[in-house]
Amino acid sequence: MNRVQKARLFTIFRYAMLFIWSVIVAFPIFWIVSTSFKPDWEWHAWPPVYWSQEASWANYRAVWGRTQSPRATSGEKVATETARYESHSANKPWQALWNSLYIAITATALSVAFGAILAYGVSRYRILSEIRMFQLLVLRMIPPIVVAAPLTLYYSAIHLMDTALGLIIVYFITTLPYSVWMTKSFVDEVPVEIEQAAEILGATKWQAIREVIFPLIRSGIVATFLFILILTWSEYLLSLMLSKVDVVTLPVQLAKYEGSDEGRVYGHQAALAVGITLPLMIIGIFIRKHLVRGFTFGMVKR
Amino acid sequence: MATATIAQPKGRRSTRARGVRVFKWSVLSPLILLFAFLIPVFLLQIYFSFHSWTVYLSTWFDAEYVGLELFQEVLTEGRFWRAMGRSLLFAGLSTLGCFICGFALALLMYKPFRGQAFFYILFILPMLTVPVVIAYTADMLLYEKGPINGFLSYFLPGDLSKFTWLANPDVAIFTIILLEIWNWTPFVFIIMLAGLSSLPTEPVEAARILGANRLQIFREIQLPLLRPVIFLALILRFLEAMAEFPKTWGLIQGGPGTATETIPIYLYFTTWVSFDISKGAAMSYVVMVIMIFIVLTAIYVLRREKRALDALHETSRAEA
Repeated sequence: MNRVQKARLFTIFRYAMLFIWSVIVAFPIFWIVSTSFKPDWEWHAWPPVYWSQEASWANYRAVWGRTQSPRATSGEKVATETARYESHSANKPWQALWNSLYIAITATALSVAFGAILAYGVSRYRILSEIRMFQLLVLRMIPPIVVAAPLTLYYSAIHLMDTALGLIIVYFITTLPYSVWMTKSFVDEVPVEIEQAAEILGATKWQAIREVIFPLIRSGIVATFLFILILTWSEYLLSLMLSKVDVVTLPVQLAKYEGSDEGRVYGHQAALAVGITLPLMIIGIFIRKHLVRGFTFGMVKR
Repeated sequence: MATATIAQPKGRRSTRARGVRVFKWSVLSPLILLFAFLIPVFLLQIYFSFHSWTVYLSTWFDAEYVGLELFQEVLTEGRFWRAMGRSLLFAGLSTLGCFICGFALALLMYKPFRGQAFFYILFILPMLTVPVVIAYTADMLLYEKGPINGFLSYFLPGDLSKFTWLANPDVAIFTIILLEIWNWTPFVFIIMLAGLSSLPTEPVEAARILGANRLQIFREIQLPLLRPVIFLALILRFLEAMAEFPKTWGLIQGGPGTATETIPIYLYFTTWVSFDISKGAAMSYVVMVIMIFIVLTAIYVLRREKRALDALHETSRAEA
């Protein structure tokens, strides 16, 4: 076999493998999108219905709509189930969406702002030694479940239970290692000489940071912000334990859609799930070049 | 670094040093205050580990002192150690699975080809989903007469409509391992892809000219150079998998029976389902000690590998 044939064979092999993996990746995503458009009698159908002939926005209206959706028409049982479910969670998704947005954005903004300042100090003046920087990672690597019980009791004692502030504090702490490491990797890329040049030309330290450094790392800050937003947006465990009624976030809200024992309300779950996940995917694709930095604490450079 | 590079008069340097100190503490003090605010959490944890308390007692400070009894109970309990074993199995196998799939994909994709950007975007999607959503999607997909069995029955012989992914205790743990692999292969994929594309090209060229074949180049040159990145991917993945909670809880709550009860699940179960706060606290303590040991080892390895990685980048930059 000569070189050209070998290369051609490799190309075929590559596309075949990539195609197989594409199916594995895309099938569940396709399924949840397709389910979100299905009428209720097709949720559990066998053989499975891949794409409904009667696709509609009904599930989205039922979950996200302010007015109640038309009742299910496929038999008594489903209809009562839907009614029962709707009565206890009407309009809750909007409340959860607002909570999620508010908590995730506030915690993320604080974490990134603080992380960026700290990262600047570490990068330029080594205000934290290398070993301290690594010790910071412990905050992220210890499973949060191990402090969950005492945290819950402590929060109830000081009345932070079921408040946005309580969740913002824990999200701030758990995401701080990511924001420091990630913004540090951006600050490290700005040569010290630029800053010094500005100072020699008469700029104060603060001016040098504001006029020279910040514009250079701005896109990095945005990437970090969006990256941390992905983490706080999808966090489940802490939110599950530290919130009861008032500050339920979207992932926890989704878990409440158990319906009854007889069957889960798949279509509604799917409609809500698409609503939760879509923004995340868009953000992730938008910052795809920086994801490596984020997930590896800036340890892998591209 | 910056302070060392500029030669300055003595007086100016000391004001500068003071400025740095002021800056340092004005940044660090709020952080320290925040941690101080959370110290009671750890004190409470110690308190509850040594006092037997349940929600049925009205106030938490009149719980009975029981010494090391709770620790003894946890450490001699078969269920706890089985959960620990399951956690290690889950983390180990899912890390391995993610690594094999992610590395294979990265090897297929690190050289430019038509459609590279498309596949990259598609392949990172699982990482960008909310874990709870994965749990519920899996629930829709995996029941006996569900779409996965329906889809697979096109390719595989036999009646798949009886195959249970979740109800069979022997299979369930592997089902959640597969879910974890689906979820986090992109993580290994993007790390290995970044690692492969940042490798210096000269050694590979040199080896090729000297007559090495593809396999030899991979084994003797690329793999050793990738070592830091491989360690990084494996360690971070393993630690995250040890803490995995939302998918397993959302999907089967550690069931059927205790077949998928990993450490986070068992901890959650003890504390929030059985409301055995004291036992939960003692167990958290044991787990925390074990995890801190693992994490400190991991951090030691990570620091060593980061230095190797930095050195690699230094040399490749110096040569360029």
